[in-house]
Amino acid sequence: MRLLNRLTRGVTALAVGLGLTFKLMLERKVTVKYPLQKLNISNRFHGLLALPVDPETGKDLCIICFKCERICPDRCIHIEAEGKGKERVLTRFDIEMDKCCYCGYCVEVCPTEAIVFVPHYETSTYNRSNLLYDLDDLHQAAPKEPIARGIFGGMKP
Amino acid sequence: MALRTEELMLNMGPQHPSTHGVLRLIVTLDGENITDVQPDIGYLHSSVEKMMEHRTYVQNVALVDRGMDYLIALNNEEAYCLAVETLANIQVPDRARYMRVIFCELNRIASHLVWLGTWGIDLGATTIFLWCFRERERILDLFEKVTGGRLHHVYFRVGGVYADLPEGWVEACGAFLDYFLPRVGEYDELFTANPIFLARTQGVGKMNRMDALALGASGPVGRASGIAYDVRKAAPYEVYDRLEFDVPVRTEGDCYSRYLVRMEEMRQSVRIIRQALRDLPGGEIRTRVPMTMKAPRGEVYVRTESPRGDLGVFIVSDGEETPYRVKLRAPSFTNLYALTEMMKGWKIADVIAILGSIDIVLSDVDR
Repeated sequence: MRLLNRLTRGVTALAVGLGLTFKLMLERKVTVKYPLQKLNISNRFHGLLALPVDPETGKDLCIICFKCERICPDRCIHIEAEGKGKERVLTRFDIEMDKCCYCGYCVEVCPTEAIVFVPHYETSTYNRSNLLYDLDDLHQAAPKEPIARGIFGGMKP
Repeated sequence: MALRTEELMLNMGPQHPSTHGVLRLIVTLDGENITDVQPDIGYLHSSVEKMMEHRTYVQNVALVDRGMDYLIALNNEEAYCLAVETLANIQVPDRARYMRVIFCELNRIASHLVWLGTWGIDLGATTIFLWCFRERERILDLFEKVTGGRLHHVYFRVGGVYADLPEGWVEACGAFLDYFLPRVGEYDELFTANPIFLARTQGVGKMNRMDALALGASGPVGRASGIAYDVRKAAPYEVYDRLEFDVPVRTEGDCYSRYLVRMEEMRQSVRIIRQALRDLPGGEIRTRVPMTMKAPRGEVYVRTESPRGDLGVFIVSDGEETPYRVKLRAPSFTNLYALTEMMKGWKIADVIAILGSIDIVLSDVDR
């Protein structure tokens, strides 16, 4: 009798499990064939960092306040500048992306939104030196698609 | 000639796929029976407590969510931010507190889903793993829409949260909860009455209440052994005192009851999130705290209920920009040391089932 009981329980469990999986087989698939298909990612995604230039003047938005360099927990931003007053220009803006922890503090503290996150994630490379992004690389990385701006601290843009 | 027998010392790990990280278990065997288990930890030590002494209070948020338990980044941030806020006496706006609760509970569900899936794999059930990760993916998508990160968010700030919810997120979250609750029922159908699963877990790895208390087991492990203790109820933080939820407690103390407790916790988390979404007030999300904030001299200990148990943060401040000393009380660490008690007398095949049932993350154990 106990054996029969166990047998029924086992068969029921098997039937229930197979039934569930069969039901799921008929549902829409959730898998994405990654390199061919890609998911839409959020416009707030912490991907690459970029320095978009001002579309009107063609100059950097950066006012060289060194806030991002100071707040960076990994100290991966290096800034140098030349000149005085209005002529002050960036000569170096390096981000060591291999050190970067994508925390977003630099984006948060920036007063002019000169440094932004781009929702781009395929940044792996065979060579470690490729992960040092200089000023040109960061200009090129500037977002083509719209990104979320002015979201920090509940501020309205 | 008599057959000579002796105890066998077996090294399990550190590279064993079922230890969920790099954990070495030194198992002493008498035939197939376990006489002793000693966990050997430290392979994933990242020295996060020391590193926190060299970074400012603000920067440390980025550190706690990856230096500790990487599956529950938001709960870690919550504990840390709460500690700094208590120390510096910073008031958090109501909206931010509700949002924190929502995110912590979503993270709790995500963490329990990883546990259930990987434990299922340990026990030989592959389907549940895929199902759990399917649901978890949707939670991570919800996170990504708000925080920009999927695993490491750096979303909570001392004094609030850093960005408001985007448009339509509350509805999306509600839709997810509606979708998720029947799924928990499906896991139930698949597992709870399954004779194979019962044979592997019911009565296995028992720990009674006294042992659990003595070894400091907390969270689902403690609650499965009959310790009716949940920090959210015992010492409510954020807005947990305004929300209604039950704390599931079992008295059997075996793997099966740990499973049941976590399943019920997922349902309760859904209940909490629903209430929080309903009551979510408008207004500010952040108190302005300077990026170079200094905490006043003193010390503080804050405990929170993380998905693994009682997560405590102890900060000593000497009035500078950086903490003088930080101690993190990791729930995985204390729960891991209950393992020896649980495993004595069981067979070698049960090691994986019992180890999986306490739900440790090695980065939390070693810190």
